[in-house]
Amino acid sequence: MGSHGIPRVGATFDKSEQARDKEWKQIAQYQALEKDVVGRVNAKDYSDATFQLTSQLLTQNPEYYTIWNYRRLILQDVFARELAAADHPSEQGAAAADKAGLPPAQHEILLLIKEDLQFLIPLLKQYPKCYWIWNHRSWLLGAATKHLLARGAVELWQGELGLVSKMLGLDSRNFHGWGYRREVVQAIERLSGGGDEGKGSGGLVEPEFAYTTKMIQSNLSNFSAWHYRSQLMPALLSSRNADTAARQAFLDAEFELITKALYTDPYDQSLWFYHQYLMATLNPSNAQAPPILDPCGAAEHLQYLDQEIESVREMLDGAEDCKYIYQALLEYSGRYLELAPEGEGKVTVTELKEWLRELRKIDPLRDGRWRDLEGKMKL
Amino acid sequence: MSLAAGPGRGHVAEGQLPEELKLVVDKHVAYIQSLDTRRDELEYHLTEHLRIGGIYWGLTALHLLGQPDALPRDGLLEYVLSCLHDDGGFGAAPGHDAHILYTGYSVQILTMIDGFKALEEKTPGGKQKVATFIANLQQYDGRFAGDQWGETDTRFLFSAFYTLSLLGYMPHQRPSEPPIIDVPAATAYIKACHNFDGGFGVAPGAESHSGQVFTCVGALSVAGELDSYLGEEGKDRLGAWLSERQLGSGGLNGRPEKLVDVCYSWWVGSSLAMIDRLHWLDKAKLTAFILQCQDPEQGGIADRPEDMVDVFHTVFGIAGLSLVGYPGIGEVDPAYCMPKHITARIQRP
Ligand SMILES: [Zn+2]
Repeated sequence: MGSHGIPRVGATFDKSEQARDKEWKQIAQYQALEKDVVGRVNAKDYSDATFQLTSQLLTQNPEYYTIWNYRRLILQDVFARELAAADHPSEQGAAAADKAGLPPAQHEILLLIKEDLQFLIPLLKQYPKCYWIWNHRSWLLGAATKHLLARGAVELWQGELGLVSKMLGLDSRNFHGWGYRREVVQAIERLSGGGDEGKGSGGLVEPEFAYTTKMIQSNLSNFSAWHYRSQLMPALLSSRNADTAARQAFLDAEFELITKALYTDPYDQSLWFYHQYLMATLNPSNAQAPPILDPCGAAEHLQYLDQEIESVREMLDGAEDCKYIYQALLEYSGRYLELAPEGEGKVTVTELKEWLRELRKIDPLRDGRWRDLEGKMKL
Repeated sequence: MSLAAGPGRGHVAEGQLPEELKLVVDKHVAYIQSLDTRRDELEYHLTEHLRIGGIYWGLTALHLLGQPDALPRDGLLEYVLSCLHDDGGFGAAPGHDAHILYTGYSVQILTMIDGFKALEEKTPGGKQKVATFIANLQQYDGRFAGDQWGETDTRFLFSAFYTLSLLGYMPHQRPSEPPIIDVPAATAYIKACHNFDGGFGVAPGAESHSGQVFTCVGALSVAGELDSYLGEEGKDRLGAWLSERQLGSGGLNGRPEKLVDVCYSWWVGSSLAMIDRLHWLDKAKLTAFILQCQDPEQGGIADRPEDMVDVFHTVFGIAGLSLVGYPGIGEVDPAYCMPKHITARIQRP
């Protein structure tokens, strides 16, 4: 929406006459194409020719959502005709379909869907943030799921996993891409008859978890990958049938991973949010972070607070100007003192005051927040 | 009204220090008025699918700038009503398919130009038809689809809520009638999009994003559930995440480690305002950032200094300035992105 990151090159008023002529011609051509498509669809001309014209128009303007709707109307019409004609397949069609192991109508539908998925690829590469292209892609896959046997549909969805990995390779933060990835994984697991997420024969939770490790290793500052990693944990642990010891080992390994990353770059917000997430899994008042440990009570919470306050405190050495360290220390210490009011000595009020003073000095932008924190912690 | 970007670009006028920056109100008004005269640009035609959005953004900006009549009311009314379909939905332009987002913008425009009487004259029972169009898009699990093709998104849910409330069709506004939508199912869906960091994503499991935070917080606010659901702890957590969106330039970004952009002044700022944490931002620095993104000669505001201006960033820049109390700008309602004196008439839960 609107224009993003587009530097202004040459304003309209200084266009040459030649450039203006050219623009008028382009406008006339565009309008003629639009009029042709709209006229045909209004007259219910759902022919291949109309379909090709929608391709032309959408290639020029993929944001024109009504034309995507027209494209789906045409496809729906073709699917219905194929299914209706299924009783009288042509010999040639039947032979090809037989080879593919699908009934003829389904075979035709599969080919159409594959072709349209192919049509979208250059568009997605050119306009990776256009909602309507991703939306149309989901619709095609949904249509495949509806009309094809599970095996045929699952193959298509698996292909999508490759595509979305490629897209995320180009822009590792594209949230359409990450959202689509979740959709694809859910569909594969559902169609593979898994039932429980991550437990079916198509169980993807392990490879997906490994994918987040790979993404993080190639770029630590990728909160999208860290977030996805956090979301996979409950299913991962349950698919591994992790017991108390395994869960604790898992949490410890995650803390080790993030601590190493934080030493590499303590100024990276993404990493701190993940650290915060791991701490939140121990905090029963954060309902959005399910526990990793089992059991997970006040004793465990206190133990990790103790450990992480110590670990974060050590990060200050050489990074005394890093606001996130003070924020973490204040947050975790506040919780520590709530759980163990007698825990003074571990963290002293003098120290808390000192951290807050430093924080206010380094981060004046959020001074209102630090003032509120001061009041809340009674410092 | 066009969404075509340009012609100007955001920059600081020569010899001007950032602290001397002023909002060029007259230039912005003239810029918005000029938008519909750009039919000789291809971009104007390629952005037809955003026409209704453009009118809503331009008109809101004009209201906040104190010039609500700078666009001719009759022309606006005629245009909006020409986007109405028989099923009660509005398209983005005449002939474009109905969609919940454009229905929302149309109802916002009709509210601002006092156009409901004209709607009823054109289509008897019109308001109810529009409300029914929206109600029919709710899915069994509480979500809302954008149109008959079924894509769902928390933006659509928010759009459904605020549009129905402007029409007076939210269940709490009609306690004696059977509810036309299932509010508890919808808010339960929003809660499923809530993340550990306090923010909200586009679907359950999705990473927090400022735009989605705005739609989810806005929906909870319209439904009257914001305070009871988040509580002080939830507001602190969300407020912390939102306040970390402000970077050294004073501008705000949409997610960790992303670029600043004027439109986030609105999504982040309004969300903070709804949870009473707006003072967690540096208002003076945000003001200076927005002002650096305006074109002081030709009007309009861009996403970042030196980029092309457009009406989308113009309204969200101005609305952002309204939130932080920039002198001379009308007060904006943080949930509806409309003048507060107009939304004051809405019956809240
Ligand atoms: Zn923007």
